[in-house]
Amino acid sequence: MTHSITPQAATAAGTSPLLEVEDLAVWFPITEGVVFERHTGDVRAVDGVSFSIRRGETLGLVGESGCGKSTTGRAIVRLYKPTRGAIRIDGTDLAGLEGVELRNMRRRMQMVFQDPYASLDPRMNVASIVAEPLEIHGVGTGSERRERVGELLSTVGLDPSHAVRYPHEFSGGQRQRIGVARALALQPDLIVADEPVSALDVSIQAQIINLLGRLQDSFGLTYLFIAHDLSVVRHVSDRIAVMYLGRIVELATAKELHDRPLHPYTVALLSAIPIPDPVREVSRRRIILQGDVPSPVNPPSGCHFHTRCWLRERLGNPEQCVAEAPMPRDLAAGHQVACHFAEKTDGSAEQVLSIGRPVPSASTAPVAPPPTTAGA
Amino acid sequence: MTQANRLRATAARDADAPLLSVRDLVVRFKTHDATVHAVTGVSFDVAEGETVGLVGESGCGKSVTNLAIMRLLPKPAGRIEGGRVLLDGQDLAAMAESEIRDIRGRDVAMIFQDPMPSLNPVLTIEEQLTETLRAHRKISAADARQRAIDLLVLVGIPNPEPRLRNFPHQFSGGMRQRVMIAMALALEPRLLIADEPTTALDVTIQAQVLELIRDLTQKTGTAVILITHDLGVVAGMTQRVNVMYAGFIVEAGLTTDIFAKPSHPYTVGLLHSIPRIDGGEGEELIPIEGAPPNQRLAPVGCPFAPRCAWRTDRCLTENPVIVAVDGSGAAVLTGAAATHRIACHNPPTPAEAAAGRPLSGGASRVGATGDAR
Repeated sequence: MTHSITPQAATAAGTSPLLEVEDLAVWFPITEGVVFERHTGDVRAVDGVSFSIRRGETLGLVGESGCGKSTTGRAIVRLYKPTRGAIRIDGTDLAGLEGVELRNMRRRMQMVFQDPYASLDPRMNVASIVAEPLEIHGVGTGSERRERVGELLSTVGLDPSHAVRYPHEFSGGQRQRIGVARALALQPDLIVADEPVSALDVSIQAQIINLLGRLQDSFGLTYLFIAHDLSVVRHVSDRIAVMYLGRIVELATAKELHDRPLHPYTVALLSAIPIPDPVREVSRRRIILQGDVPSPVNPPSGCHFHTRCWLRERLGNPEQCVAEAPMPRDLAAGHQVACHFAEKTDGSAEQVLSIGRPVPSASTAPVAPPPTTAGA
Repeated sequence: MTQANRLRATAARDADAPLLSVRDLVVRFKTHDATVHAVTGVSFDVAEGETVGLVGESGCGKSVTNLAIMRLLPKPAGRIEGGRVLLDGQDLAAMAESEIRDIRGRDVAMIFQDPMPSLNPVLTIEEQLTETLRAHRKISAADARQRAIDLLVLVGIPNPEPRLRNFPHQFSGGMRQRVMIAMALALEPRLLIADEPTTALDVTIQAQVLELIRDLTQKTGTAVILITHDLGVVAGMTQRVNVMYAGFIVEAGLTTDIFAKPSHPYTVGLLHSIPRIDGGEGEELIPIEGAPPNQRLAPVGCPFAPRCAWRTDRCLTENPVIVAVDGSGAAVLTGAAATHRIACHNPPTPAEAAAGRPLSGGASRVGATGDAR
């Protein structure tokens, strides 16, 4: 259980998986009664998720609110205890670890949180915030830590002399840089970034995205990048996993997922994302999903997506979707889809993102052209 | 009755005057130790039936502009310190509170980002919908109830009759936003102000709600001011856009013009700093360095100058006025022939706008950027 101190050593191992997640489930119990607590149900936030991340790779985990993407990330750094399943870092299963062993493994994975206002203690100055992980793990002497804090702050593009300032003295983007510096302090192998740019203004988002990319290049970091914004995820990720209601429905390289989405949910998600181009927006066809995401307390039987699925409707509502949960299938090299009828999707990118062949479905709605610009 | 209102309103103004005309609007917030310059001389027009975008980042003044139009600025800190807000030629900024109350809801309605604080948690949807109707119109309780059911059908809420008896917390986020839209459209307003109406929603639900707003406002001919930070939403929803930065409008024009030929360095920067789902692979993002200015200081020079790659010495001292990009004289402010205008002393060339950065040595970068304080 030796910990690789130099990040270079971590990249040397090449393409072996750093993180393997197998059949991970996180259920939160629902209880009733004050004196005699009765267990009346479970919120199945994550319900059987498997994936692996190679060293130096970025895996994007994308999905809408409540799909379980953040819970997955938090279970991986063991902020939640998994209900079942295995989380292996270099072959060591975290799920069974406790105490000192767990703490030692935690050095290797750090988290960057969404809200840079809530994730920094307002009563600690920047130096204490960034040095805290070093103190907890007993790394270095006081003066070494101070030096390291200065290094880390310059690494993330902050002035080391600002170490004496407090979080409220910084803007949102700068605070997120502090969060990144803290995550880097212990030279982790894996960084779980949970919506790291969603709380930031668009002009600032690009600063943080570029920073994360630069850090990955220089330190050989491995990222699990969790976000709801597929455009951002596609930009930063090597591979992308799409989650819906506690399960991964599609997993593929960023390019493959974009060019040839095969799960009907992914197709709908891609078609729903607005494109900052009025000419394309006017000619686009959208798949408008009906209704809301069902409750994870009582998820639909079979395929979780069957209640809103446009493909199932098109195929005449086959019973198999209700009766049988689809297992992830390899439909192309490294392209897994959990859908019984994924071959029938034909979700090529032109179809979803642009003009031309619309998805022939009853629920397909053309985007009406704005009237006054029609002649312009 | 709405028809009568409309006739009365139309008679009161010039034939060519726009529905809404905001002129040199200045809004400041006075706090115990400072004055925040939230909106500093904003002017724009909205014609009947138009959908106009107001785009910008947090703190740029887009929401404050619209709270000022509705006279809903938080009191006593927020004040309209200058300018006019003409709706059919009547100045809303100078109106008595009792008069503006008649206008709200009837002529101008608003939907907010988060529907929950706008809905009363202890009243059923029925009570809230019929209250709006009966406050402005003389109709019977039964008619109001029927109208409420019709409205829920209109915004696509299944089982409207039993749903009327529900409380706001019994609706999902997307459904609550639909209820808000139903309330906003209850009196067939002529102008709908939608302030980040889908920002709190998931992308598939956003698509539903945007489509609903587009369909309903087109059907009724309602003009819309759409406030958002999302350039994708603006591209799909609006005919014209005003780009705001730090209390000023820095670029305005047809949506197609602004996306095809962005001309202000801030707009250029925004478009290059967002990853696009349809973009090429490995496309580089060019962030806008630094952070927005401290609006507690009175603005000097161009507000964007400290972050601008094209700035000149002049930009630091003299705030540019908004003029036509092509240098032509009189500007068309509304409709399909609206003039593309920017406020910039040293705009990027089309090639530079496409590249997202100055191509030759060009701008002299004065001083350091990047410090928000």
